Amino acid sequence: MSDASATMNFRRRDAADKLRGRTRYTIDRYLPGMLHAAVLRASVPSGRITRLDTSRAARMPGVRAIVTAADAPGMIGIGIADHPLFARDVIRYDGEPIAAIAADTLMQARAALAAIDVEIEPLPVVLTMADALAVDAPLVHPAWRNYEVLLAGGARGGNVAWEATVVRGDVDVAFARPDVEIIESCFRVGRQNHVAFEPRAVVASYEDGRFHIETSTQVPWTIRNATARLLGVPASQVRVTVPPVGGGFGLKFDLAIEPFAALLARASGRPVRLVNSREEEMLTCLFRENADIRIRSAVTRRGEIVGREAVVLMDCGAYGGEQIFLTTMTAHTLGGNYRLGAVRLVSRAIYTNTAPNGAFRACNGVYNTFALERHTDEIAARIGMDPLVFRRRNVLGDSDFGATGQVFEGDVLGPMLDRMDTMRDAAAIPPKRTDGRLYGRATAVGTWFVFVGPSAATVNMNADGTATLVTSGVEIGSGSMMQALPQIVAGTLGLAPDDVIVRAADTDAAGYDVGVGGGRTTVSLGAASLSAAQEVRTKLLKVASEMIEAAPGDLVMRAGRIEIAGAPGSGRTISEVATRAQAQFGPVSGTGAFTGSGVPAMPGCVAGHFIDAIDIPVFAVHDCEVAVDTETGHVEVLSYRVVQDVGRALNPRAIHGQIQGGVVQGLGYALHEEVTIGSNGRVRQNGFETYRVPLALDILPVEINLYEGAPSIGPLGTKGAGEVPILNVGAAIACAVANATGKRVQELPLTPPRVLALLLDREPALSLPHIADSWIDNLVRPHGTAE
Amino acid sequence: MGLSMTINGDHLTSTADPVTPLVDVLREDFHLTGAKPVCREGFCGACMVLIDGNPTPSCLIPAALAQGCDIRTVEGLAANGRLNPIQAALEACDAVQCGMCFPGMVVSLTHLLTTRPEATRDDIRAALTGNICRCTGYERIIEAALLALATP
Ligand code: FES
Ligand code: FES
Repeated sequence: MSDASATMNFRRRDAADKLRGRTRYTIDRYLPGMLHAAVLRASVPSGRITRLDTSRAARMPGVRAIVTAADAPGMIGIGIADHPLFARDVIRYDGEPIAAIAADTLMQARAALAAIDVEIEPLPVVLTMADALAVDAPLVHPAWRNYEVLLAGGARGGNVAWEATVVRGDVDVAFARPDVEIIESCFRVGRQNHVAFEPRAVVASYEDGRFHIETSTQVPWTIRNATARLLGVPASQVRVTVPPVGGGFGLKFDLAIEPFAALLARASGRPVRLVNSREEEMLTCLFRENADIRIRSAVTRRGEIVGREAVVLMDCGAYGGEQIFLTTMTAHTLGGNYRLGAVRLVSRAIYTNTAPNGAFRACNGVYNTFALERHTDEIAARIGMDPLVFRRRNVLGDSDFGATGQVFEGDVLGPMLDRMDTMRDAAAIPPKRTDGRLYGRATAVGTWFVFVGPSAATVNMNADGTATLVTSGVEIGSGSMMQALPQIVAGTLGLAPDDVIVRAADTDAAGYDVGVGGGRTTVSLGAASLSAAQEVRTKLLKVASEMIEAAPGDLVMRAGRIEIAGAPGSGRTISEVATRAQAQFGPVSGTGAFTGSGVPAMPGCVAGHFIDAIDIPVFAVHDCEVAVDTETGHVEVLSYRVVQDVGRALNPRAIHGQIQGGVVQGLGYALHEEVTIGSNGRVRQNGFETYRVPLALDILPVEINLYEGAPSIGPLGTKGAGEVPILNVGAAIACAVANATGKRVQELPLTPPRVLALLLDREPALSLPHIADSWIDNLVRPHGTAE
Repeated sequence: MGLSMTINGDHLTSTADPVTPLVDVLREDFHLTGAKPVCREGFCGACMVLIDGNPTPSCLIPAALAQGCDIRTVEGLAANGRLNPIQAALEACDAVQCGMCFPGMVVSLTHLLTTRPEATRDDIRAALTGNICRCTGYERIIEAALLALATP
């Protein structure tokens, strides 16, 4: 039906303008008469607002509108509605918004912020998950019981915002077997900042009684619905459009500053521009969460994993946000990769008085894969088996069960490991090393998923032979919108990809969509686009069959023509057929809708999960070689190889670009990106000077092999490719450094001071006393029992 | 009165406060939004412009210091609408992702290519340390620079 391969590797249409500096991102939009906004943020991590008086600020020069909690009645959240737009009486994190001001200039808006009279009485603070879980810990949300529950099933209690569990089989029996070794490992990771180059930015206006929000987001429909909820207006009163986005990585997968601008636009009657400063982005970016992990396995001497249990604590910061949803992922990341006997896992989102965390490329998976792969190496060492042999014996294959009882189809990881062997063997033998550094290598596997969910698309056939694709998809840089989707439509209609016009997201024009992220664009939006294009194809072929006097089944669409199969040059141009169709029946269009039906878990196996099993598993095998300088602790990456399961590669070059970029971002996570929180509750890294992302000097070319042919329900067999490349980088580097140094790596990033401390045995073994020894003592509610 | 400067060949005057960073004058007074204020600390290079031929982060330069200077921004590098050699190579190598870092990258690499046609891969990597990219992992950018250097 569709031959998108005919259009493989076609280049990005948005590149030339981006290279000329012409592309107008949200931060580049300036409307006539526009006001500039700024947000007053708390500078304490916990406190009660005893006085908030904006009257002096309102008299400041240029000020046109001020809004506070009184203007935004609603609460939002995922799973539970725990998050107001402005701090309402209580401050829960340093940086929490208190009020917003719009003025003629940004300087005036900022000056007026200082004239808001606010008094805050300090309240007790919990800054770490250990603090939050202590007996008698102060509650971040004392009224947690009163919050609206948006999705039932997660256990909650005190500072535990959400708890998701998996129980399959009898772990106690497995652990009590006489023929097993019990291996226990603990891990800790810090927060990672996305550092998307375009900060979160919005221009809002209030026109004809409706809000129009132009914003830098990955999720136009979420912005529409959540803004409406916060403002207490019907969702239909909000229209969201999205210019090109200057980097997302999950940062823009949630509501941010849009409602402030919307409220100010309504209050002032003028368009309002609000752009986060870099410091605001650094301090409140919805980081990849910090996490504490304990994992235990019962493994036979022959290398069979008969039982596994884990406790994963995920810091959600002051509000539940996406962490609530992400508790679901532990089942598939820690419970992935390997065949398991009995298993029990608990994944807990914990409230602390810190800036909220959010989604970040392969969220939850990056650190759980690090933990799982390091744990796997510790297992192999204990039972005296080569780690690669152990992996090969245990990786998930055809008909194997996942942690939630999902049955996997096809042997994928095994052949991918073979392919990695081939790649490694083909590499040049490294020269003899006599520089005194320590050398190590590791291979790490990873299991991820494509977040499917609903998408819609419309294809309008134009009489000039072009087609317009209308979706709510957003181009965030990955190329999915500029390359993959037009290729799918063009392949179906026999057009050149450049003849497919891609309409920018507009919630008034295109149907509902979950958003661009989770590797879902090519899959969900792609499937909707494919079916919309097929409807157009069917209609055109019908008209053409009359014009050409041939049965529709004998016709093909290619190179802008509809012809009798096997007779090139016969038939008519698509433009002629479209023109005739339009004259006879009206303009030709097609619509498509898609969602995954969802794979069920084994009955009774999961509790508190948003996704029971994974619709489209995606696998990756990474291999790297490192050199560790024993004097400085510096880790140099000498080679990096990736075998990635892509289902089918529609545009290999675009995928290669995503893999190189994702691996480098992962190297940052593994080696130097570290967000820490001071005793005052403030993030310490407030700019590029203090937060070190990889530079051109830090990187190396990644050797890439795309593994095609694994089963996928994605259109034309595709899977998402942009999310996965970062998944096992932390794992591969950590295992390689452990192999090089012979030390137990339990934390990331492996900054030079941390590596030196490991080498000098000055890094004490990680202990997590806030994780109870007995698995069940970590639960607020036993698995599967009702609230 | 005001501050006068030559930008992409045009003589322009701004009434901005002389301490306003040049990047804001370019964007707000002259609607040249190519240069991006990303870090405002001189680290990322997304706001890079040529001032009298030298690549300079425009976030660090008060407008007063640009008075009388010859300034070239990314918008002025594609002569007669045609991409210059490094822009063309970046396009050919499919280097662009979100694109936010590219205005600065193009400025720095245009300068490197014109001043050091003999640059090696390592020279290119070193020259790019003032231009951070969060998306691409740099490899395609380096490839493009090598391609542009090799193209007569
Ligand atoms: S914005 Fe000027 S160097 Fe980053
Ligand atoms: S392409 Fe996005 S920052 Fe470089």
